[in-house]
Amino acid sequence: MKKKILTFSQSINEAMKQAMAFDKSVFTFGIAVDKTGHVFKSTEGLLKKYKSKRIFDTPNSEQAETAFALGASLDGKLRPVLIHHRVDFMPYSFDQLINWISLWSFKSAKKSFAPLVIRAIVGRGWGQGPQHAKTLHTMFSYLPGLKVLMPSSASEAKGMLLSSIMSNDPVIFIEYRSLYNTKELVPVDKYYIDIEKPRLRLKGNALTIVAAGASVLTSLKAAEVLYKKNGIKCDLFDLRSISNMKLESVLSSIKKTKKLVLVEDGWKNFGYSAEIMATVAESNIKLDAAPQRICWPNSHVPMSTPLEKEFYFDENDIINACSKILNIK
Amino acid sequence: MNSKIKYQIYKNLSLIRKTQEELIERYHPADQMRCPMHFCIGQELMPAVLGTLMIKEDSIFTHHRSHGYYIAKKGSINEMIAEFYGKASGTTGGLAGSQELTSPKINFYSGAILSGAFAISLGDAFEKIYNKKKGITFSVIGDGGMEEGIVFETLNMASKMKLPILFICENNLYSTHTPLNERTLEKKPSNRAKSFNMETTYFEDNDPDKLFNLLNKVIKKIRITKKPQFIEIKTYRFNSHVGPEGDDHFNYRNKKEIRNSIKKDALNFYSKKMLRGDKNFLKIKNNIDNANKKIVQKAFKFAEKSDFPKEFQSFNFKGTYKKIKKFYDNKISFGTTQENHKPKPY
Repeated sequence: MKKKILTFSQSINEAMKQAMAFDKSVFTFGIAVDKTGHVFKSTEGLLKKYKSKRIFDTPNSEQAETAFALGASLDGKLRPVLIHHRVDFMPYSFDQLINWISLWSFKSAKKSFAPLVIRAIVGRGWGQGPQHAKTLHTMFSYLPGLKVLMPSSASEAKGMLLSSIMSNDPVIFIEYRSLYNTKELVPVDKYYIDIEKPRLRLKGNALTIVAAGASVLTSLKAAEVLYKKNGIKCDLFDLRSISNMKLESVLSSIKKTKKLVLVEDGWKNFGYSAEIMATVAESNIKLDAAPQRICWPNSHVPMSTPLEKEFYFDENDIINACSKILNIK
Repeated sequence: MNSKIKYQIYKNLSLIRKTQEELIERYHPADQMRCPMHFCIGQELMPAVLGTLMIKEDSIFTHHRSHGYYIAKKGSINEMIAEFYGKASGTTGGLAGSQELTSPKINFYSGAILSGAFAISLGDAFEKIYNKKKGITFSVIGDGGMEEGIVFETLNMASKMKLPILFICENNLYSTHTPLNERTLEKKPSNRAKSFNMETTYFEDNDPDKLFNLLNKVIKKIRITKKPQFIEIKTYRFNSHVGPEGDDHFNYRNKKEIRNSIKKDALNFYSKKMLRGDKNFLKIKNNIDNANKKIVQKAFKFAEKSDFPKEFQSFNFKGTYKKIKKFYDNKISFGTTQENHKPKPY
């Protein structure tokens, strides 16, 4: 498979283009998706190629847009991709997500289904502040019937978005803006990824690190330092899907290493880290040291630069947590 | 308007009434229909007439007082009653019940969170244009639902995008037990639709023939122009808001208002009108009433005999993918090179 270096944003753009070329039932819409910024370039070129039939702007109507996506997707008649520039606009559409989309397949006893994708971007960083930097991934994951995905890199993003669009279930696709300029070797053709299962990013025996979305990159940086400085190799898992986590591979890694660090770009309360810890406890896995969670504090994020810097963790926080568990300095 | 249509309207009115009466009668003694149920006695007029004008390819999205519209869309009475009994043979395997009555195979959808289904009609109508399909979309709401914000977004998008939808507001003057004048100073919900440059009609009468003539004109126009329209029909619910018991002991409705509304019952009115004007109708009416009675009784037997569903968890996800085999399976690991990201102003 031929590969080329793409940014996360170009990768998303390729996935959109390839999905639309492959399947005529795919269309995309949302507030200002076809305008100047092209959703941070991720929808660039679509209007020129597919015209306003398949990519169009909507009024500021997040609720109706979401209901629109559901109605259009019924039984796979169409495959809408609805885009929000910030996750923070999605709470408008909680009724549609909670009372309609998430239970559509369930309450029809699988006689109907709704293959729609909602792409939403997390501001995170550069003073985006309390109304532009939330992730809300655990809120969505709490609901049965939704697939909640958080791609961690360019190559993951392309395959995961293509797989999401072809999935016959509703998907919430959370993209961190802070990853948009990161680059990676990405397969050129269209490809799918098993979005249900975590991906093992790094292999090792010393400890298990679990992350998702932007925190995978931060964890990779931390793991690199740990290896260079102390020769320590760890298993690093990228969860990919936050909802209905299939944790078999993660749990067997924890059984092997008996040490666990969880990294999550999101609030500590009720996050996937907490959920994984609960699963570890239920599975009666004995650990050598108390597991560590690296998450956001249970507070809204301040805009002011020094406070914001204090709010978000970085690779050093992960290194410190790992060092503590491994009892190294 | 030919006699065939008139008989069909009477048949619909009578079948809707009969199912409601039977459900109310059997609800408690049987205690086998264990879900909230919103009956529509008194509100049969709109669905009964609409039923003669909807085609198979049309879709309909309604509020929770939906039995009439389900019957109008020619939904199976057997499956409807079985659904209320929570049986696997129900419209949706007994998982949704009355207030979310849904039957994908006849394009019928409803739900209890007032204006949600109203808005979903947008995408359904869009799909019909996108895929150049026959059929239009009907979207029914009550006066209560009209107060929710999404309604305004929906009307605006439908109008701006020129979607083939007939929006219908059944104004029965009460949201549960709260009268309209306690909720808004705008007496006619349809006036709100006007502000979106939408053709809007207000209908206040109990004569099905008049409603047929109006709807026939409106629906024909939507099928040709593909542009949305809005109809408000003034109606009245004779039964309680929910469940088989009456709720008029709460005195939330004026007794004279109730009496006057019942006097204008469309079924009774139409029956008398037809008997006056059509010599054959007495015989036809008896045949229709008997046939409807049999349909309903058979449905209850079907429901009682059906089995309960055995699973529910697997229904949360469809769990399949479209044409994924045509995609390259990227199981191999890719390069993990990730350059440091430097956030910049945007």
